[in-house]
Amino acid sequence: MIRLEQIHKSFDSQEVLKGISGQISQGEVLAIIGPSGSGKSTLLRSINLLERPTSGKVYIDGACINEGKVDIGKIRTKVGMVFQQFNLFPHMTTLENVIYAPLKVKKMPRKEAEILGKALLKKVGLGDKLKTYPPHLSGGQKQRAAIARALAMEPEAILFDEPTSSLDPEMVKEVLNVMKGLAHTGMTMVIVTHEMGFAREVADRVWFLDEGLLIEDSLSQAFFASPQTKRAREFLEKVL
Amino acid sequence: MIILDFERIWPSVPYILKGVQVTLTYTSVSLCLGFVWGALLALCKVGNISALRWFAGFYTSVFRGTPLLLQLTLIYFAIPQLTGYIISVWEAGVLTFTLNSGAYVSEIIRGGINAVDKGQREAALSLGVSYSSMMKDIVLPQAIRNILPSLVNEAVDLLKESSLISVIGGADILRRANIVALEKYLYFEPLLVAGFLYYILVMVLTIAAHFLEKKLKTS
Repeated sequence: MIRLEQIHKSFDSQEVLKGISGQISQGEVLAIIGPSGSGKSTLLRSINLLERPTSGKVYIDGACINEGKVDIGKIRTKVGMVFQQFNLFPHMTTLENVIYAPLKVKKMPRKEAEILGKALLKKVGLGDKLKTYPPHLSGGQKQRAAIARALAMEPEAILFDEPTSSLDPEMVKEVLNVMKGLAHTGMTMVIVTHEMGFAREVADRVWFLDEGLLIEDSLSQAFFASPQTKRAREFLEKVL
Repeated sequence: MIILDFERIWPSVPYILKGVQVTLTYTSVSLCLGFVWGALLALCKVGNISALRWFAGFYTSVFRGTPLLLQLTLIYFAIPQLTGYIISVWEAGVLTFTLNSGAYVSEIIRGGINAVDKGQREAALSLGVSYSSMMKDIVLPQAIRNILPSLVNEAVDLLKESSLISVIGGADILRRANIVALEKYLYFEPLLVAGFLYYILVMVLTIAAHFLEKKLKTS
């Protein structure tokens, strides 16, 4: 459902992505891993064009989205995103955060949106925090609310940009559990993560990036059992 | 020895007091219009259209780079000469204060918009929200909350600067105090009354803003 073709991205004179191609199928859980500065987040953010590739093509459901006239807003409703810093809207309650986009973008009736929002927040374990403002939530609760917010648009895929990297250690698990549950529902997920245990357990496939290149694209089990490249082997030895 | 003779101007105090309403009307109308105009200019400044960005920047530099009194007299005297339209004191005052205040407010709002975390925009955009909805519902409410103290400062400045209207004949607090002074050959007392009135108005505004700020903080 997502296909990347020779994605290059430069910031000023620095080339962060040096031609990355790959494919993510419907229902697949893909973990993007690699050392800091390897371009993982930039690659992820290219998929919904929060970063516009300098060159190369991004296809969603077979259509190129970074060339010609494309309603990028519409594409983004199909591909949700969860951020490292949560980015909840601090001036709205948790429920308002979740139903804002369905109301505004999908023009869903308020009643219907509220039913959906409450159900989603219940699903991520925040059924009792509907009226709470984000500053009063813990990190783990914020991230679960952010996942509910992404789900409210009923996307076909969700991009996760280091979803647990700014959480206290004891809150990592509650977020990973929600993500695991989501993976089991068949949601297409692309996850930039440093949680190798989680990647091994939940991801179907792994992309290993280094210095702006996709140097290994393997099934998750195979990758963690025996990485093909020396660079990936060294990386795993350091982090596992 | 200084002798203050308030008794002689006492009958004229109600006349000066009537200027409060005039001053407040000029200030509040110009402030509201200036806020809308300033918000539009700020959106031009943070937007992607370079012609608008250039215009807003140039506009601001002109209105901040020249004296307000010059702008006021220029508009009051130049418009009839250029267009044949006889502009009233009220129109000239509101127009000038709006245009001038818009320049200052646009800088304040621009700063407020830039101070809103970039992640807020990205989160909104990633949900498929349009640029205009994102600005209106996500960015501006947060920006305005942050810049409320600066906006109150602008209101205070405008309230005091509105006294310039007396130069072209607006019957505000200062103008009325001057008229009383001329009538009674007594300068110190009426000006003292005017100063006192301005001070009270500014204090009320400041205290009101303080409460509003507190309320916003807790919500």
